[in-house]
Amino acid sequence: MRSFDLVEPATLDEAVALLDSQDKSVRAIAGGTALMLMMKTRLFQPTRLVSLRRVNGELRGIRMNGDGGLRIGAMTSLAELEYSPMLASAYPVMSQALRTLSNIRIRNVATLGGHLAHGDPHMDLPPILITLDAKVSAASKRGQRWIGVSDLFAGYYQTSLATDELITAVHVPSQPLGVCCWYEKFTARSADDWPTVGAAVWYSVHSNVITEARVAVSAATDRPMRIAAAEAALTNAPPTAQVFSKAADAAADEVQPISDLHGSASYKREMVRVHVRRALERALNLRSNGAG
Amino acid sequence: MTKTHRRTIRFKLNGRPAIAEIGTHETLVEVLRRDFSLFGARESCGQGLCGCCTALVNGTAVSGCLYLAAFVDGAEVLTVEGLGSGNELHPIQQSFIENCAFQCGFCTPGFILMTKELLDRHPHPTTDEIRHYLSGNLCRCAAYPDIVRAVKAIAER
Ligand SMILES: Cc1cc2nc3c(=O)[nH]c(=O)nc-3n(C[C@H](O)[C@H](O)[C@H](O)COP(=O)(O)OP(=O)(O)OC[C@H]3O[C@@H](n4cnc5c(N)ncnc54)[C@H](O)[C@@H]3O)c2cc1C
Ligand code: FES
Ligand code: FES
Repeated sequence: MRSFDLVEPATLDEAVALLDSQDKSVRAIAGGTALMLMMKTRLFQPTRLVSLRRVNGELRGIRMNGDGGLRIGAMTSLAELEYSPMLASAYPVMSQALRTLSNIRIRNVATLGGHLAHGDPHMDLPPILITLDAKVSAASKRGQRWIGVSDLFAGYYQTSLATDELITAVHVPSQPLGVCCWYEKFTARSADDWPTVGAAVWYSVHSNVITEARVAVSAATDRPMRIAAAEAALTNAPPTAQVFSKAADAAADEVQPISDLHGSASYKREMVRVHVRRALERALNLRSNGAG
Repeated sequence: MTKTHRRTIRFKLNGRPAIAEIGTHETLVEVLRRDFSLFGARESCGQGLCGCCTALVNGTAVSGCLYLAAFVDGAEVLTVEGLGSGNELHPIQQSFIENCAFQCGFCTPGFILMTKELLDRHPHPTTDEIRHYLSGNLCRCAAYPDIVRAVKAIAER
């Protein structure tokens, strides 16, 4: 690794001021787990890193919003999230996914902000946060703005954040009672590997009809994304095995998978079919058992 | 290397005050080996996958190969060398020996420190919890069953 300038500001304003809208070799560093891999392989050679670890206040902590949703500071570690009773009761789907996200050493260090800002399509939480309709608050010298997590990912390792913009927090709205929600992680190598396919589903059922549905896929594609065709196949249909199969077929038809070391494009397409269906089934089973 | 690329870090290492002159780009495992001759943590995969470079920072395990040494400034660092007291082995180390939980020993410091975090959190873990905690540590000699047995044995003590 090449040496660089490392600065550790104490406030968000200072941190934002140290970033540079023109210079891509200046970046924030949170846990560093993703960035270190890129620096070790020389994919990224910074001139300056702005460490967020000493920034106090708003980047930290998990707390309940006025509307019953959760506000999670960007510097919250994935381990804090995994062990959070608040997260487990509000979004069990997230707590569950965190258990197989990498390993404990990485979760102890990696942060939610870094997880989202990295733009890696193989991350586990983005598709879940998309289906939960979460948004991030972002800060720059130009002020603060909201970005829906579904609009955050612009392409392969690309986000809609400006070069000098920081994620300060993630806001997850409270979920209606009885909503069906699940994330299927499929790994082709070891259990705690990055996913080959991640499939998150969210739908509500009234009088045996699906009234609203969200389906998001990650890892198979260049970025995590909602799958409109699958959602259309579910909406206003009954939650049956047949409908789930149709929706899974629609998802497999719509995605444009990319080949990588986790699987070829054609293999991933088939895995999208299988795991979207399983996620839809699992979500329903969990709800009827009262565990979802 | 310009001046801003270097710094002095002060931290607690195995219970004693420590000070080091480092480059900002250097990792924790590099500094432990070079400046303190602590060779228990070693870089193997270099990618956060295997756990051979594990150290505890403020009580939680980190991959020393992906952790900037600059980040331990002000922190408490524990390596396998600091686990026992004097000539006494720590109960986890003792149990690994009694249960033959290694062959070559290359992965052992990492497994022992990960077990320390596990037992600090869950003094009586189930087999599932043990597997969950240790799933991010790799043992090329595949001593896994003996490692799980060693951890169970301490927890049952
Ligand atoms: C061995 C290993 C296995 C892994 N397995 C998985 C897995 O199975 N599933 C999975 O989902 N992920 C996996 N990961 C990825 C892991 O989730 C990410 O590395 C981690 O979440 C990144 O967080 P960080 O805080 O370390 O980010 P950093 O490395 O510090 O930063 C990553 C990027 O985000 C930017 N950044 C950081 N914080 C902010 C902020 N607040 N605002 C704006 N930009 C910011 C940085 O500039 C950088 O570009 C794995 C990683 C490793 C090393
Ligand atoms: S060498 Fe650090 S985890 Fe393998
Ligand atoms: S004992 Fe040889 S690698 Fe684990």
